[in-house]
Amino acid sequence: MTATTPPPAAGGRPAVGPRPAVPATAGGAGDAALLVATRVGLWLGVQLGLAGLLLLIGEAASGGQALNQAAGWWMVYAALVDLGTLGVISWLLGREGGSYRDLLGPPTAAWAVAVGALAVLAASVPAVVFSGELTSAVYGQGAIAPMFAIVELPPWASVVSVAVVPLLAELAEPVAYLGVVLPRLERRLGRPWLAAAIVVAVWAAEHACFPLLASGGGLDWEFAAYRVGSVLPYLAIWTSLYYALGRRLLPIMAARWVFNAGTALALALGLVQ
Amino acid sequence: MARPMEDQMRDRVLYRLTWLALALSLGHHLDHLLRGNAVGWPVTDEVNAFTASLVVYPIIATGLLLYHAGRVGPGFWALVSGGGAAFVAAVHFGPAAVEPPELILDHYDPPILGWLAFGWLVVFVAVLAITCVYETRLWAAQRQTRRATRPATDAEAGR
Repeated sequence: MTATTPPPAAGGRPAVGPRPAVPATAGGAGDAALLVATRVGLWLGVQLGLAGLLLLIGEAASGGQALNQAAGWWMVYAALVDLGTLGVISWLLGREGGSYRDLLGPPTAAWAVAVGALAVLAASVPAVVFSGELTSAVYGQGAIAPMFAIVELPPWASVVSVAVVPLLAELAEPVAYLGVVLPRLERRLGRPWLAAAIVVAVWAAEHACFPLLASGGGLDWEFAAYRVGSVLPYLAIWTSLYYALGRRLLPIMAARWVFNAGTALALALGLVQ
Repeated sequence: MARPMEDQMRDRVLYRLTWLALALSLGHHLDHLLRGNAVGWPVTDEVNAFTASLVVYPIIATGLLLYHAGRVGPGFWALVSGGGAAFVAAVHFGPAAVEPPELILDHYDPPILGWLAFGWLVVFVAVLAITCVYETRLWAAQRQTRRATRPATDAEAGR
């Protein structure tokens, strides 16, 4: 125990702790690449597979139409991507030893997670504003972001998109990028700031893959670029906060859940017009 | 007595974050001057949010001196950063913003400069907020350490 290690709080767990070093991980950068490739591959595979199915059964007249129809369900089939991610994480943990809980950072009292989540939400305000302004600049004043405008789900699927998918997303996405990929890159590169910058860039780039939209006979590259640009400040802020909170993931996961579940709920209730 | 390495490292991070916030603040005030559409005293006769925001420089200078002398700790910086983040966000992003993003985005030619200035502002507020979280965590850890060592010291003194 170092001189600055705080004493245990109620329940024998420290509410806040010292800044931990890079978590010890046996895996290398190859594992990080595998995890990212799995996510990107699943996003592309699921969407292209679904679009192919729609073409096959005659529900869509063209590839572009099939992609756009499939895109309406992205908030549901995101669960498959996150389940696949959790599968790879479990496999890596089984191979290297260690537990899923270790990936979430030092023990944190429930009240500290709640306070931290509020801080994450407050710190995300600049990202919300930037994203809103970018949407207005690209799609016009008061426009809804296309990834939300295209969502069209029956009631049962809306329930899944609100109750199940945001929870799975939090268990998989930030844990994959901040709990698994980041420490491996830090150890490989030896420069935390460079590792963090790469993680933010790759994490943002993954967002270009979902949903895939077609426009004018090809992929809608403007939307893909908009998607990356709009999510970049969120990811930069959350990654910085991961360090600021002493590598604790739970407050970030909780805040992200509020964002994602709140958005899904607003869409399900038709509040986003 | 020499301070632990960990404390020195935290000091370094805190100083770096403070200097970064100071640089971003100066850059944002420069953006105000370039646009000229949201300035006050001493550039014009009007006393407004721009004038009030200049108070941050003497606060930072005093804070750096007091922190160096050990008279204030991370709690002071958490209040300065948090207060700064809240003030700048309220002025630019809040529902009653006196200087909404359009005042920045629409007043540069070419427009990319407006996006650069707006992006700078977003980074500025984000850095203040993240810095506040970091300093609050340090503050909380310091308080816990102090609370933990106090009873032990008292008990030893009572022997």
